[in-house]
Amino acid sequence: MLSMQDISMVYRTDLVETHALRDFSLDVAEGDFVSVTGPSGSGKTTFLNIAGLLEQFTKGRYELDGRDVSSLSDAQRSKVRNEKIGFIFQGFNLIPDLSLYDNVDVPLRYRGFSAAERKRRIEHVLDLVGLGSRMKHLPSQLSGGQQQRVAIARALSGEPRFLLADEPTGNLDSQMALSVMELIKQINDQGTTIIMVTHDPALAGMASRNIHIRDGQVSDVEHDTQLVAAIAG
Amino acid sequence: MELGPIWRAMMRNKTGAILIALQIAVTMAIMVNAISIMQERSRMMARPSGVDEANIFYISSVGFAEDFNERVAIEEDLNMLRSLPGVVDAIQTNSVPLSDGGWSMGLQTEPGAEIQGTGVAIYFVDEHGMETFGLELLAGEDFSPGDVGWRERSDTEWPDKGIITRAMAEALYPDDPDSALGSTVYINDDEPLTITGIMKQMQAPWNGWSGVERVMLVPQHTLFGATRYVVRAEPGRRDELMPQVEQILADSNKGRIVRNMRTMEETRERSYRSDGSMIKMLTFVIALLTLVTALGIVGLASFSVSRRTKQIGTRRALGASRSAILRYFMTENLLISIVGVLAGGALAVGLNMWMVDAFDLTRLGWYLVPVAMVLLLLVGQIAVLGPARRAASVPPAVATRTV
Ligand SMILES: Nc1ncnc2c1ncn2[C@@H]1O[C@H](COP(=O)(O)OP(=O)(O)O)[C@@H](O)[C@H]1O
Ligand SMILES: [Mg+2]
Repeated sequence: MLSMQDISMVYRTDLVETHALRDFSLDVAEGDFVSVTGPSGSGKTTFLNIAGLLEQFTKGRYELDGRDVSSLSDAQRSKVRNEKIGFIFQGFNLIPDLSLYDNVDVPLRYRGFSAAERKRRIEHVLDLVGLGSRMKHLPSQLSGGQQQRVAIARALSGEPRFLLADEPTGNLDSQMALSVMELIKQINDQGTTIIMVTHDPALAGMASRNIHIRDGQVSDVEHDTQLVAAIAG
Repeated sequence: MELGPIWRAMMRNKTGAILIALQIAVTMAIMVNAISIMQERSRMMARPSGVDEANIFYISSVGFAEDFNERVAIEEDLNMLRSLPGVVDAIQTNSVPLSDGGWSMGLQTEPGAEIQGTGVAIYFVDEHGMETFGLELLAGEDFSPGDVGWRERSDTEWPDKGIITRAMAEALYPDDPDSALGSTVYINDDEPLTITGIMKQMQAPWNGWSGVERVMLVPQHTLFGATRYVVRAEPGRRDELMPQVEQILADSNKGRIVRNMRTMEETRERSYRSDGSMIKMLTFVIALLTLVTALGIVGLASFSVSRRTKQIGTRRALGASRSAILRYFMTENLLISIVGVLAGGALAVGLNMWMVDAFDLTRLGWYLVPVAMVLLLLVGQIAVLGPARRAASVPPAVATRTV
């Protein structure tokens, strides 16, 4: 499903070079639920951005769904993001000026679906996250947990193969975090491959697999997430 | 297209959009009316004076000497001018078109002091008047030498003949202008005067007068102490003749001075100088307003792009291509501009209706409003291109990198 080999990412500014990822290698199989942990600044977001085609890497090889993505044009990358990848952000990233309905509609319009198809999908995913009755509301009228549910609905609306989440519960209290996590887990159960960055070991433990990043490298691939949770706990 | 969401999102932050739409509307209203005024002025400036402007010049002669005999001087001067090589013809007269100073009277078709006459500009000429000015006789006949009398300053008597323009005939006899020829009209309330000729066209000395095309030639020499000679040169010889004529007139009679020699072309230029500068000023105002509006659009769009940087990154992450982002901001501007030009169209027409009333201006040409709409929509699209391209270059990673 996802295969990275010796990926390096160097951020260059006038003064410094930051090696955000060094010879980073990882394989993720179809249907996996991978949690990514690691200290702040270790390269988690960088990894997620590269995995989600939000950023180009400096060196290495990356195959997504059997396709080498390094040679894709910007427009092609946009299309892959739109069709295959769903994103969930720490800050929800809902568009404040748009209703929940219009927010979920955003990726569907870029997809070029008909109005009827978009309506069907929007209503379906908003029902799925339990907000079907509030489609006309603005994001600011919702709690953080509800906003993140809308963002998840938006990510799901295009039926992506692949869901990427960067600290999806980072801005939520534990109660809301848990319900969002349950939703994510459900999505994985339906067959969607998920990579989720978190610094909460308990949440990381809900994944089927955990990787730990340190200084831009995978320091530890642990399949038995129960153990990680136990150590951290 | 995503018109719906763009419009709905805009409605949540409408202050800036409304201000820009308003600015576009005001710019458009002023632009359209300024262009209309410019068109009106240009039309005025383009009207022919009716005389052979390219080849005519004139010069004033003022007698001052104790023994200066004006009548003799005029006869001598005219003989001399008419025999000069390169001169087509010459006359003594009181004024020329566009010179801004002249004589006007009222003509009426019935005698009586209580009747309101039709204003007409008077040029005193002799039988060389038509030829010197280069006028075209449509009907009737030119003056003959026997028609021409001499008029002292104190005289109030008018000659019994006149040649009027077609426009004057229409003003006198709106129902049947052709009946003007041979008819008797009254000048000074009750002095009869027969219309012996109708000429095609000639302008009065005053370009802003609504009756500028209403002119009458009367067969008289004037003995007013100061006079004016009009000389028509053969094509191409005007400039060579001018200093010659000035010299000869000055030398031939030491009892007068000659002055104010001027071509008809210069007279036209002076006559419309203020209109010319008004057109320049209005052009400048239009350009300035358009520029300010364009800058306003750039400002609003730049602000909205930087305010929405994270949103743009998120849209990119969700699958928007660069061109989709570009289109978003272009479309947003188009919506604002459409509102602006629609309001501007209404405002332009309203302003024009008021100005037609208040200042007697002409109505807008039907095409002005649509043309200005297209123009301002284009200006908007060009102005927003810069900020829209900046938006399109926001990297998708902004979605995860900004809080
Ligand atoms: N755009 C950038 N320019 C320069 N350095 C960056 C940029 N983005 C991230 N970095 C650096 O790369 C390293 C990894 O960052 P990141 O992947 O965001 O870490 P994490 O998500 O694990 O906290 C950090 O040292 C960070 O400062
Ligand atoms: Mg991070």
